[in-house]
Amino acid sequence: METLLDLWAAYGSTIAFAMVNALFALSTYAVLSTGVLSFTTVVFAAVGGFLAAQSVAHLGIGLWPAFALAGIGGAVAGSVVAAAFLKLDSHWMALASLALVLITRVTVLNTPLLTGGVNGLVVPMSVPMGDLVILLALVAAVFWRLHRSWYGLAARAVREDAAVASTMGIPPRGIQFTAFVISGAVGGIGGAALAFTLQFISPETYFIGMAFTMIASTVLGGSFHWFGPIVGAAVFTALPVTMQSVLPAIEDVAKGVVLLVIMIFLPRGLVDPRAVGLRRAARRRVSAEEGTDV
Amino acid sequence: MSDAALSRPLLELDTVVKTFGGVTAVGGLSTRVTRGSVHGLIGPNGAGKTTLINLITGLFHPTSGAIRFEGRSLEAMQPQAIATLGITRTYQNVRLFSGMTVLEQVMTGCWLTREVGVFASFLGLPSARAAWVRTREHALSLLARVSMDHRADELAETLSYGEQRRIEIARALGSRPKLLLLDEPTAGMNHQEATAIGRLVHELRDAGLTILMVEHNMGLVTEFCDDCTVVNFGRLLATGDPATCLADPDVQEAYFGRKTDAERIQALR
Ligand SMILES: Nc1ncnc2c1ncn2[C@@H]1O[C@H](COP(=O)(O)OP(=O)(O)OP(=O)(O)O)[C@@H](O)[C@H]1O
Ligand SMILES: [Mg+2]
Repeated sequence: METLLDLWAAYGSTIAFAMVNALFALSTYAVLSTGVLSFTTVVFAAVGGFLAAQSVAHLGIGLWPAFALAGIGGAVAGSVVAAAFLKLDSHWMALASLALVLITRVTVLNTPLLTGGVNGLVVPMSVPMGDLVILLALVAAVFWRLHRSWYGLAARAVREDAAVASTMGIPPRGIQFTAFVISGAVGGIGGAALAFTLQFISPETYFIGMAFTMIASTVLGGSFHWFGPIVGAAVFTALPVTMQSVLPAIEDVAKGVVLLVIMIFLPRGLVDPRAVGLRRAARRRVSAEEGTDV
Repeated sequence: MSDAALSRPLLELDTVVKTFGGVTAVGGLSTRVTRGSVHGLIGPNGAGKTTLINLITGLFHPTSGAIRFEGRSLEAMQPQAIATLGITRTYQNVRLFSGMTVLEQVMTGCWLTREVGVFASFLGLPSARAAWVRTREHALSLLARVSMDHRADELAETLSYGEQRRIEIARALGSRPKLLLLDEPTAGMNHQEATAIGRLVHELRDAGLTILMVEHNMGLVTEFCDDCTVVNFGRLLATGDPATCLADPDVQEAYFGRKTDAERIQALR
């Protein structure tokens, strides 16, 4: 009985972390789906996390207002980052975003009044699993609507060929700016969700480890449809847990190998709408050839 | 529109220069495109034709000189602003979007005429849905014009080169432009397909569109173009009606190396 409860505890927290990681992966996807690789989700998460933690502690606001505040804070941070970074070429952009992650950590360390500094911050609020599910569902619904709207079509065009998109009247920078605002809001909300899940945050919470997790989740799940990052985050979060029970000694190696295998054989990720179209075209060609044989 | 505005050329290039480092791709070229005409842009490989189209659409900015569209200067404008004025284009080396169906490609080209705000479309308001359906119908009608409507739901990258070229034309027509720039629209096509493109171009012109097209097939140029501009090494060789241009000794030398070889150009027609 006790082991069963332990299992449930481990399992339950894995699901919670998978959902939080899905938020971070979606935040990364928001910009990646317009052709921008950026690690700044970590920064937005830090903004949202500390904002939410401090406001529940000192302003006494509830869970959902805290999520809203974290989203707004992240969106503001996203627009500031976009205004500063979108002038850069794509590879410099990625590098600059990484630099910003490092700067954020130093800033968090050196503003103890706001962030608790090196000691971190105890978060006097937790998020029930049900609320986390609703939160992720709401965010996913936003991405579903984005995907099916004019914004989604323009984002795909900008990602595939920004120059061509611009000659059709689509402003690439404008679309990417919007993407950063969305990424900021979702990253901020994710940061708050993480704070309420861990109930303790420190400079190390929002750092390189998170950047790795969210990029790996997005690439693994696929960055060509909003469902990809959610699947990727689930797989990437469950993988270490599964590996631990099967091959505890070589967990990290096994995790790395599984990731490499998926990336080599499914370079566009697990969820890839284009692959469906390609398979359909291949089937059509085959049936056309059979048709001429008869 | 006043008579003066109508008689003024739709597009004017005034001593346009474009250099890339030491290479002069366009070296002080002046020409004009009349409203409602099909204007051929011809010249040997590397003459600077594609560079000119890139300059007109704002992908490049001229080193010096002026480009005016309906009297407006385009030199410093961004590509999306130029598209908004009513200039769209196709590409010499087909540049469709990977991962999009044929219909999605053309819908993307309808961005400027979507009649609905991006936010309303995100919310899925009834008015936004209605506008989406109208745009979809428009896109399908454009695909029908280039005989590609039966392929609307297929991934564009799985289709043949000629089909992709036609999809690009439909995409460029999506925003109901005033000036359409076609960069070698018939490259890789057989005579029948190329003639179909020529006929389409005439239909579009008769419906009020002005077309500037790069074309290597002299037969098509004489048959379908009202005017033409011949360039070589980024400079103007001749401009005027196609027959006169092609008979010009400089033009013949550029194409065939010898001024005396006049018979071969006849043979090519
Ligand atoms: N982005 C660029 N950078 C450097 N040089 C360029 C660039 N684009 C074009 N050029 C040079 O400018 C000249 C004109 O090229 P352009 O592509 O405009 O010729 P074209 O007339 O379209 O030729 P083709 O018939 O082969 O398409 C060439 O010498 C080319 O190498
Ligand atoms: Mg060219």
